[in-house]
Amino acid sequence: MAPQYIASHNLAALLDRLRRYGELHGPVRGDDEVVRFAAIAPGTLPDLSALRTLLPPKKYLLHPQETILNYTAAAGYQMPAEEVRPLILFGVHPCDLAGINYLDRVFLGDAPDPLYAARRSALTLIGISCTPDEFCSCHISPSPLNALTDLSLQSLADGYAISSGSPRGDELLEGVKEILEERDIAVPEDTRRFFGQVAAEPLRQELDATLPDWQTLADACLGCGACSICCPTCYCFDVLEFGGLDGRSAVRLRQWDNCLLKCHAEVAGGMSFQKNRAERFRYRYRHKFRGFGPLQGIPSCVGCGRCRVVCPAGLDLRPLAERLDEGRHEQ
Amino acid sequence: MNNNVPFPAVVSAIRPLTVETSLITLDTDPHHPVAASFLPGQFLELSLPGVGEFPVSYCGFPSVDGSIELCIRHVGHVTTPLQTAAPGDGVGVRGPFGHGFPLSAYSGLDLLLIAGGLGMAPLRSLLLALLKQRGLCGRLTLLYGARETGALLFLDELLEMQKRGVIELQLTVDRPGYCLNGPPDCRVAMLPDLMDQLDVDPGRTCAAICGPPVVYPLLVSGLRLLGLTDNRIHLSLERRMKCGVGRCGHCAVGTRLCCADGPVFSLAELAGTEGAIV
Repeated sequence: MAPQYIASHNLAALLDRLRRYGELHGPVRGDDEVVRFAAIAPGTLPDLSALRTLLPPKKYLLHPQETILNYTAAAGYQMPAEEVRPLILFGVHPCDLAGINYLDRVFLGDAPDPLYAARRSALTLIGISCTPDEFCSCHISPSPLNALTDLSLQSLADGYAISSGSPRGDELLEGVKEILEERDIAVPEDTRRFFGQVAAEPLRQELDATLPDWQTLADACLGCGACSICCPTCYCFDVLEFGGLDGRSAVRLRQWDNCLLKCHAEVAGGMSFQKNRAERFRYRYRHKFRGFGPLQGIPSCVGCGRCRVVCPAGLDLRPLAERLDEGRHEQ
Repeated sequence: MNNNVPFPAVVSAIRPLTVETSLITLDTDPHHPVAASFLPGQFLELSLPGVGEFPVSYCGFPSVDGSIELCIRHVGHVTTPLQTAAPGDGVGVRGPFGHGFPLSAYSGLDLLLIAGGLGMAPLRSLLLALLKQRGLCGRLTLLYGARETGALLFLDELLEMQKRGVIELQLTVDRPGYCLNGPPDCRVAMLPDLMDQLDVDPGRTCAAICGPPVVYPLLVSGLRLLGLTDNRIHLSLERRMKCGVGRCGHCAVGTRLCCADGPVFSLAELAGTEGAIV
């Protein structure tokens, strides 16, 4: 079968038809010129030229702050009853898709996180091809994470090749078939090819704490936490509880946290297990490039480049990762 | 089983052990004693509604009736208000989490327990479990140190065990303190000093350690001097375990998660891991 094709002038029609299947979100340029994932208003088009949104799509699956438990004296702790509506994310780049794949591995493991699982099952992902810029590193360090989609769009000169990656995608394709055409076109490879690569043998040796790089990073870091907020695979969360004024109710929240913040490893009494910033950089490094617990050996950096773009001090763990990775071959 | 939602539990007793430490007994549903079915060394997340949740190791013996003993030092923002808890107060429990001490590996061997300060809590649980199956292992020796005599936990119980001859007990305090009636034979020395005159057979001895991070390097080098191999030394690590299920990202030790892979690790597992033994 020849590839399915959709002409650029039919994009608005495609979006309108997709709205039948759920709320439609995608990269939208705001009045402040910031591109962020947001609702695509009917009659408007998403900004498909932007290479990266300010925040990755993880914000839909793990809200920056969310209630995980409600407490009342009568009923005890209970999960919040959240109405999850179908959501379609349009125009997601392969790095962000791989980011979601990583979060799936963390939150949908043996005992799935109920909030995450509910939102994830209501989520339809429509990917789009992209061209890496100087901040991207997907093409430099291929990732074992999978850039999975329900539908994928690949940019061509005057339209897109469109293909399904799941039964859900098949259903969507069927629903929009009147604006698709079959064309005998050559579909170029896209950036998805940098994902789903065979994972390298995990590095067993500990990080060399005597490398001067750690202190260099630590000295320049302002401790603002922006790198984690914008990272598609940073999922650390803090847990907070607030008692109600009636004295008989409470809410428990989780909110995004950052391992470079001093409070991250502090315990009662003020003792900390990551006393200085260089140690905290190694903690971050281990999480990003070596993986914790069951995900040991799976680097979680998907190369989206957001942390490099937003860091006010221009810091970047990547060059160090590439250097330490070279050490792998010398083992 | 849903480990995300705390089960209701009720404080059935609270007994002050020292000025800042209490033994709290909780009752959970006897028909569903999940949180009370644990291995010594595992931990529980205890919720005080409206205040928060914290990880705490089990201190008693696994029960079939759903009761749980916890030894709590009132120093944090949740544990401090817990000091004024009264029987009948409602709390929440999630657990058990993590890996405990490898009881089966102790079979037929002598066991050296070393506790520092509040580290006595999980080791009491281990001790009670070992005494329950007295035939399981050989000699049971406990080295226990605290800041001062008034801070020694479960002293009556331990002296009683010593009197009955079921454990060999050595006590030490960092400073004599103001308590005039200290226990007999209690030394004034740092905990690792107790190993100086210790008589163990390294070929048939395992060690289980729990104490403040600061004593671990000295204890470990002491045990190695005695001839114990790293895979026979187990230590319980403390980290900030917020979720207990390996997701919040707060408790990594190297690339292992203290909540899921620990909190009890063998020293061999931790070889070369930065920050594991502070």
